[in-house]
Amino acid sequence: MKKYLCLGCGFSYDEARGLPEHGIAPGTRWADIPDDWVCPDCGTPKAGFDMVEIPYYAEGRPA
Amino acid sequence: MSVRFVLRAGERGYSWLPSVGLNSSYVAGHPDGVITRHSSFNFHEYQSGIPGLGVMKVFGDEVFTPNGTGYNMHPHHNFIIMAFVLGGALTHINTIGKIDELGKDDYYVFSAGSGGKHSELNIGEKDLAVIYVWVLPGQLLAPPSYRRSHFDRQAGANRITCLVGDEKGALPIGQVFKVSRLVSDADRSHVYRPSKVNGFYAFVLEGEVAIADAILTRRDSIALDGEDKIEIAARTDGTDLLLVETRL
Repeated sequence: MKKYLCLGCGFSYDEARGLPEHGIAPGTRWADIPDDWVCPDCGTPKAGFDMVEIPYYAEGRPA
Repeated sequence: MSVRFVLRAGERGYSWLPSVGLNSSYVAGHPDGVITRHSSFNFHEYQSGIPGLGVMKVFGDEVFTPNGTGYNMHPHHNFIIMAFVLGGALTHINTIGKIDELGKDDYYVFSAGSGGKHSELNIGEKDLAVIYVWVLPGQLLAPPSYRRSHFDRQAGANRITCLVGDEKGALPIGQVFKVSRLVSDADRSHVYRPSKVNGFYAFVLEGEVAIADAILTRRDSIALDGEDKIEIAARTDGTDLLLVETRL
């Protein structure tokens, strides 16, 4: 399960979490999202996202 | 010595963003208002350019015309966004609840984290010149934050001053990332000592400088890696640089 970040605004997509509020079920692979999908926040095309390996913020863990 | 690239001022990506037409919801200002942006890296449409350096994804050299030009309120997540004001006045408004006015040599660090919006406006009567830098965060969806500070030109004369990063007096951002400023008289040499595993990026705001056998003039830049000692030789009075060190 991978994470992707919108280079236009920083919106993050996590395959494990999906985007249920935008009709994308948890577990949906990035490759299975249509090529014409755009960032729900800023409209950047899917191709303008980069894969990232950044952990989530956790209280008390140093940044 | 490993030079990743030398980027001349005129080779950068260029955007001309008027406040009318397709941009009208994004760009604020009266109908003659315009933002010009020179991008060192691939910002949105510049996917064919240099894809940033380390955790730095955007280095934008921007000018906003007066009387209200700027970016209307728009959303961000995750990115750590910095603005370094070179001249004029910047009004920054964000959803953390901050309304701030920044002048020449002021700078801010806005970490969008779990989500925030901001607006950037020039409500003054002369052009605003500002450098925007975007950095990937060390953690996703952290609580948003905003901090600001000031580069003291007198105290910082002829020495390298850390503005952002884990140094005394600088704004920390929880990343292996530093921004420093160097304003130097002519014929002075300075040494920057990065960690050898990090990348280094020098951007000439004003003047002329020699770095790694390259002569750089106004708005030229250079990226190096694998170095732990970088010599910076100022060739003109008022040589002014932003120096970035980043995890690769």
